[in-house]
Order: sequence, then structure tokens, then C-alpha cells
Amino acid sequence: MNAAKFLVVATSMSMSAAAFGAGAHSGGHGGGSGEPGKASEVSRTINVEMHDNYYEPESIEVNPGETVRFVVVNKGNLVHEFNIGTPDMHEAHQEEMMMMVEHGVIQGGTLNHDMMEMDMGDGHSMKHDDPNSVLLEPGKSKEIVWKFSEQGNIEFACNVPGHYQAGMYGDVNFN
Amino acid sequence: MKKSFLAGLAALLMPAFGLAGEYNLTVDRVQIDTGDFVKEGIGYNGESPGPVLRFKQGEEVTINVTNNLDEMTSIHWHGLILPYQQDGVPGISFPGIQAGETFTYRFPIQQAGTYWFHSHSGFQEPDGAYGAIAIEPEGREPFRYDREYVVQLTDKHPHSGDRIMRNLKMMPDYYNRQQQTVGEFFSDASEHGFMNTLKDRMAWGDMRMMKADVEDLQGFTALINGKGPDQNWTGIFEPGERIRLRFINSSAMTYFDIRIPGLNMTVVQADGNNVQPVNVDEFRIGVAETYDVIVRPRDEQAYTIFAESMGRSGFARATLAPEEGMEGVVPELREPARLTMADMAGMHGMDHSAMESKEQSDMAGMDHSSMAGMDHSGMLMSGNGASDPFYAEGSGIVPMAANGGKFLSYADLRAQNPLYEDREPTREIELKLTGNMERYTWSINGVKYEDADPIRLQYGERVRFKFVNETMMTHPMHLHGMWSILDVGADQWNPIKHTISVQPGTTVYMETEVDEPGQWAFHCHLSYHAAAGMFRKVIVEGGPDSTQAKTDAVAGNGGEA
Amino acid sequence: MSRVRFMTLGLLSSLLLPTTVTAQEMMEDTTARKQALTTWGVQFEEFEYRYSDDDEELGVWNADIFYGTDELRFRWLTKGEYEIEEQAYESLENQLVAQTPISKFFDAKAGVRFDTPEGPDRTYAVLGLTGLAPQWFEVDASLYVSDEGDTSAEFDAEYELLLTNHLILSAALDATVAFSEDREIGLGKGLSSTETGLRLSYDLIDRAFSPYVGVVHERKYGDTADLAEAEGGSTEDWFAVVGARIAF
Repeated sequence: MNAAKFLVVATSMSMSAAAFGAGAHSGGHGGGSGEPGKASEVSRTINVEMHDNYYEPESIEVNPGETVRFVVVNKGNLVHEFNIGTPDMHEAHQEEMMMMVEHGVIQGGTLNHDMMEMDMGDGHSMKHDDPNSVLLEPGKSKEIVWKFSEQGNIEFACNVPGHYQAGMYGDVNFN
Repeated sequence: MKKSFLAGLAALLMPAFGLAGEYNLTVDRVQIDTGDFVKEGIGYNGESPGPVLRFKQGEEVTINVTNNLDEMTSIHWHGLILPYQQDGVPGISFPGIQAGETFTYRFPIQQAGTYWFHSHSGFQEPDGAYGAIAIEPEGREPFRYDREYVVQLTDKHPHSGDRIMRNLKMMPDYYNRQQQTVGEFFSDASEHGFMNTLKDRMAWGDMRMMKADVEDLQGFTALINGKGPDQNWTGIFEPGERIRLRFINSSAMTYFDIRIPGLNMTVVQADGNNVQPVNVDEFRIGVAETYDVIVRPRDEQAYTIFAESMGRSGFARATLAPEEGMEGVVPELREPARLTMADMAGMHGMDHSAMESKEQSDMAGMDHSSMAGMDHSGMLMSGNGASDPFYAEGSGIVPMAANGGKFLSYADLRAQNPLYEDREPTREIELKLTGNMERYTWSINGVKYEDADPIRLQYGERVRFKFVNETMMTHPMHLHGMWSILDVGADQWNPIKHTISVQPGTTVYMETEVDEPGQWAFHCHLSYHAAAGMFRKVIVEGGPDSTQAKTDAVAGNGGEA
Repeated sequence: MSRVRFMTLGLLSSLLLPTTVTAQEMMEDTTARKQALTTWGVQFEEFEYRYSDDDEELGVWNADIFYGTDELRFRWLTKGEYEIEEQAYESLENQLVAQTPISKFFDAKAGVRFDTPEGPDRTYAVLGLTGLAPQWFEVDASLYVSDEGDTSAEFDAEYELLLTNHLILSAALDATVAFSEDREIGLGKGLSSTETGLRLSYDLIDRAFSPYVGVVHERKYGDTADLAEAEGGSTEDWFAVVGARIAF
């Protein structure tokens, strides 16, 4: 039969494949992806477009310890997230996002802001206010200032259920 | 459109227009070796399944089909949007392709995604005349993968299609080897009590319906890409890669429940149209449907693609592995499903049928007495506890994931990009799916195709079809030429399909933007149901050039004209 | 809102004008799909060797050959009992009937029956009802009027018990009632005879070939029994049978 036909869809495949290889044992070690940055230390701005369901660009280069301002705009028709973290952090976050969908916080192209404010008990809300991420409705834009750690296996990813698995992530490559 | 994005990819993508491709297919007698038996059948370019046709959105395709059989043939491009004369249904689109002739199909590829093609003549399709279509989009896919495989399922039977039809007409349970036995009576009796079991059997016996009537056709060997379970089709991967699996169910009669133990699947496409990704552990693929999933095996091991038939009478099996020759564990078949009274709920509707008189009232009487009685005892009535809004409440055939995880429901499907603006339908047409298992007759609104008038639609209208399944079988309804927008209650995000499964005892709605003139087939895709009469011709009157068309949209008064 | 609805409002007057794609341009479906599906089948419900308690040996068949559509089927029902030692047909019966559905589970049939055993022949007009009764009893009731003017009725019922999906115990009852006497063929008035059979079959090749063993009990009643006794025949027989159900 027609055997495997390798189909390259995006430009960054080889790079992402390398990231997978290292993915298994990342996470955990101190700080992981970095920390919220100070606006005064920003060295440059990177524009990230979110589409259905992919990022543009799909990989970025940063210097170890660099502080970057991300201007994230959702150009798709669905709610998307821009979240900086290790693959393990993303995986953990996907469970929270699943809950947000199940509770109707994320509904296709809209966010239910009232629901986000609700207290879920045990000190949790579904606010989605972590400093390493933004959750945007279509057409919306937001900024993140992030100070990257020295090194690490870091991806930016959309953890809306199914989106990461479908390939909505990008690689952070350290120079 | 996303202009900036397209500009960014300009270097990678060919311009969409000006593309043209010519393809040649021969229709041949072939040997099909399932591993269990070798059978003469029909294939394309000397093999069954035929080749995977790889098109590009925007391409003008020319396909020369040469008929090397000694009988008429045809090729229908299942799910493709094209001029009706190219749709390949003899007697509706064109006269067919005579023995020895070459027919040239020409049409533009307007869409992307996974589809398939098959003969629409006689029982050539169950006899092996099918192949896959993979269309690359003009832009990028809304998902990423490192490699892709077509995973095309079928239910190859040692009997020819003609013989199967004849046997079903002679003895409708000819192929059913999962009927309830004396042994099952006693095991049920020990579990639910003797009287309850007796009452249950009497209730079904009164209706002359079989709980075991989940699959008309058993005794097949299920194939994946032409390979039987022992022949083990294998797709190679490197750990960590994302693999797109294009599942196509080209079976004559068989629904499959598909899982890959150890892997989560992300459904990204249904019937060729992108859907918002859904992570699932298992999904059911109806006859003629396609689902594209992304999997990401991270470990250096073999994973089994396991596709159990809905009635659990057989399975297809294939392997994803880092190298050829590796095998994963092949799970056991689960217990066969049994229909429940809930699946029979639609049968009340048969009162309308003119033929029914006394027997009907007997049946209705029974429904209310013994059925209700059994509800109280809560025994053999209940389904398996799972629920899905697209199955009757308490149905016995609601699928459950083998690992207890997520099983895909139609209710999970959302269009990734709505193809049409959402609007109110101009009218509703009710189609009752009807039949009589004991006579093996299948029909729509109680009328077989041979006796039916065409369904007349007006170009420019948006029709809401209401399927009411009054039988105890699942029917995959396929409208040619125009999209079937399945109503899952998500308005503009309702998924766009070409084949819609209607479960027993349920009512399902779909809407169709009538945007292709001509005449089209509309039928149950179970081969022997379609052949028995569950089939209609749809005529779309008017066209884009007609000032009349949109006006006439209001003319219809519902029902079949 | 809906553009279509808006547009239609102003143009109601042109509703009945012809549209661009006319029926003439599009083809009629004259393929086999548009014709009633014709089908056929051959079923030997019994095809067996019988050995009686008084050492009588019989070759017996009971078959149904049909051809037709859902609406109209032609059936040739043939059954016979061949006395092996005497090389003579104890009974030989052929019916040609046309059959049509009259309800969900029942068909009416009408036709002729020819009896040509050893001895006098008879021709009958047949009117009958056949179908599936509640609780899965396959029943068949026929009314016969012979060329001698005698009327009789026959009732058949069969039930299959699935020990497994291949091992099947089937029970069959066949009873004949005569409304007038036909001495020549040994038929007395009233309930004349019954044949009861119990067969255990195994589906060896699909449902096409199912060998079985069983017992058959034949009994004659009333005047029919008296007539048989006067002829020196038996009024009650037990048979051990071995045979096969055949369908193709």
C-alpha cells in the first residue's frame, strides 16, 4: 500500500521534535520557565498572533535570562491561551482548563467572565490570572512581560482542551 | 482570511489557482486476501482498497476511470462538493461507466480533508471497490503533525454482496450469531430472577424483535488498509512525533469503536471538516464517516489500533510501532451489546403505517403494560449506564470507553470554522427511517425508493431535515452534493458532515444549505439497507443563475413533494 | 435576519414560474435500484432419512423455493415421503402459490397443490396465511379444496430454541383437518392426522447446511385412523430421523 508519506506542514518541525526529546524530564527544577519581568528590563517586544489553532510564530529565540514583552493578539474565532511553561506545567494546567470548559467558563469563542470570578472552594477560582499566561477572546490583545530563566525546556502553549494536542504550541529556543 | 498568515507561508505554498492534476484509475477484478480467506472482489488499479488519491484544494482534477469489468461501474466521490454530473451515481448523476469504457471525471477541488471514493453500482463497494482521498488545504491545517496515515476500515465478507442481500431477504437473521440463547436465558434468570427474565423475553417475543439485532451482517473479517487482524497493517513512527490518522469507515454494514490503548486521541476533523479539537480515549465511527485524529506516541513501543465492531462480532487491528514487526497487546472483544426497550421507542410511530391494524394495537398495548412493568424491576431494561444525547435514554448501545475514559459523542463536535452563516431554516422536512427487520425491508417514511417520488428542494433555501428513527437499527444517512450540518445545539458552531448516524429510537436534526443545483442521492449508507429501499433522489430546482431560485425557496410546504 | 426570507416577501407572485434546472435536463433513474428488488431462495426445512419403530424406511423432504419481490413472491412448496423398500411415494405434494404481505408479519397466499403419490392423485386450490406469530412461532395455515370437491385444512407451526447460536432444537407440528371425507385417499372427516417432530441441528456451513438428528411422531385420528387400519396400515408411528437443513 501507500506507505507513510511524510508531510511537512510547518517550518519548525525539526526543532519541535528536539524539544519533545527533552520533554520528559523537564519541569520541577527551580523556577522552570522563569518569572514575571519588570517593564524597565524589557530588551525587546515579540508579537505573537494566535490563530485557530496555532501560533504565529511557532518558535522564538531568547537569550538566557532575557526579559521579553509579548504582545499577544487573538486573531482566531475561538478563545485561546498564551502560556509560558514547561511541558509538564502545561499538562497540569490542561486539567484546570478542562474544568473551565466543563463549567462553561470557556465556550468556543467567548469567555464567561462572571463564572471566572466565582469561588470554586478550596481557595481556587477560575480567574486564570497567572502571570505566565493570558487567556483571550477573539479579537482581544494583551501583554506579558516575562523574564526567562537561564535555560530549560520551555514552550508557549494554548491549554484550551485539545488545542495543545492538536499542535497549538511554540518552542522557546535559548541562544 | 488571514492575509498576514498566508503571506508568511507564501514561500511554502503553491498558488491555489492554476493547479491541475490528471489521475488514472482502472476498475479491476482483484483477489482480496484477508488472512482468513481469499476472495475475488473488485478493486482499483489492481488492488483493494484502491490507491489513496491525494489532491490539493483549488486543483482542477481530471480522473480517467477505465472499466475493466464485464459489468457497469461508477465512482462516487464521497463527501466531495462538485457538479452533480460528476457525482458518480448511475441513474441520477450520469448513465454509469459501461464495461470496457473510460469515463473522465472533471471537477474542481473546493475543499480539504479526508474523504473516500467508492463504486455506486450494485454491491461493488462491499465487494472491494473503494479507496481513500486526502486533500491538502490551500492554507495551513489548524493543527500540526509530523506524519500521517490513512486508516481505512472495511468489513470484508466471504460472501458476495449479491449473496448477502439474498440471504438477508431469505432469513433476516442469517448472519446473526449473537442471538439470545437458552444459556443466556438462565444466566439472566440467575441475575435478574426467573420471572423478570421470562417477562423480558415475552415482551420482545411479542414484538418479534431481537435484542441482539445490533448488526445485520456478521462473519466478516475487518480490514485496515486491506489487512486483516493477523496481517497487521503497521504504521511506523519515531517516539515523540505527532501522527495524523485519517480514519475512514468504508464498511458495507459495520460501525467500529476505535481505540489505541496507551494513547490519547485528539479528534481534529470529522467527515473532512475541521472540528475544534476534542481529546478522547475512544470513538465510534459510523459507516461512511471519517474522523481525523492526532496521536503522539512518546514511547519506543508498539501501540495497537483496535477497532471493535459495534456488535462485538469482530475487530480490525493495526499497529503503530517504531519499527516493522513489533506488536502491541491485542485486547479481547467486549461483550456484545443488547438493545433495550429504549431503542425500540421509535417503533410506536409505526402506527401510521397503513398495513398495521390489529397487530399494531397489540404491540402498543404490550409496550405500555409489560414494558412499564419491567421498568419498575429495573432489570433487563436498563442500558449499560452510559448516556449520550444522540442515543435513546437507556439505550443498550451507548458506547463506553474501554478504559473508562472519554468516548466521543456527536455532542462534542464543534465546527472549527463555520462554513455558512447561521440562519433560520426555510422549512423542515421530516424523514422517518422505517423498516421491517423480519422482511428485511428498509424505507423512508414507509416508502421504498422504487415507489418514492423525489424530494424537491429549491436552490438557495436552507432545509432542516428531521430524522426520526423508527427502527431498531442505526442508520448512517448520507446526502450527496451538499453538506449536512448536524444540529448539536451549537448554532453556528454545529459541525459540518456528510454522513449522519441516527441511532434507534432517536430524532436527529440536520440542516442543509441548498447550494448545489441538480439531482443527488440521499440514502442510508448501510449497503443492504440502501439496496432494500432506504434511498431517495433529491432534486434541487433552480440554480445560481436563476432569479427564480431564491424565490421558490418558500414554495415548498414540507414533506416530500 | 434571514436574507432569503426577506427576498421572498417581494416576489411571491412569481412562485409558480418554471425554474432554470428543469426535470427534462435531468435523467430519470432507470437503474435496477429503482426497480423492485427481486430475490430467490431455496430452503429444505427437512431433507432426511426416517426409520420407524416397525422397520419402515423413508426418504423425506420438505422444501420451499421462492422467487419474487417484497410485494409478490412465487413459491414452490414441495414435500414427499419415499418408501425406500417399496420404491414408492407414500406422499408427494407440490404447491405453487403466489404470496403477498397483508400485515407486518403475515402474508396471504393462493395457488394450486398437486398430490401425485402412489395411488390416486388430487389437485387442490389453496388459500393460506403464513407468517411469524408472537413469541417467534412460524405458522402457516392453508385451506384446500380438492378437484373432488372435498375441503380440508392444514396447520403448521415451528419453533426454534437456540441452545447455542449454532446448536438449535426445533419443534414442528403439522395437523390436518378434513371437512369432508375422501375415502379414496384414506382421509376421514375431522382431525385426521398430526406429525410432530423434534430435531436437533447444528449449523455446519453458515445456515446453508445444518445436519440434524431427531424424532418424528405421526398419528392418524378418527375415521382416518379407521381407514388406515382397514387398509392394514398403522395409525401411529415413531421415527428416528437423520438429515440436514439446506438453504441456498
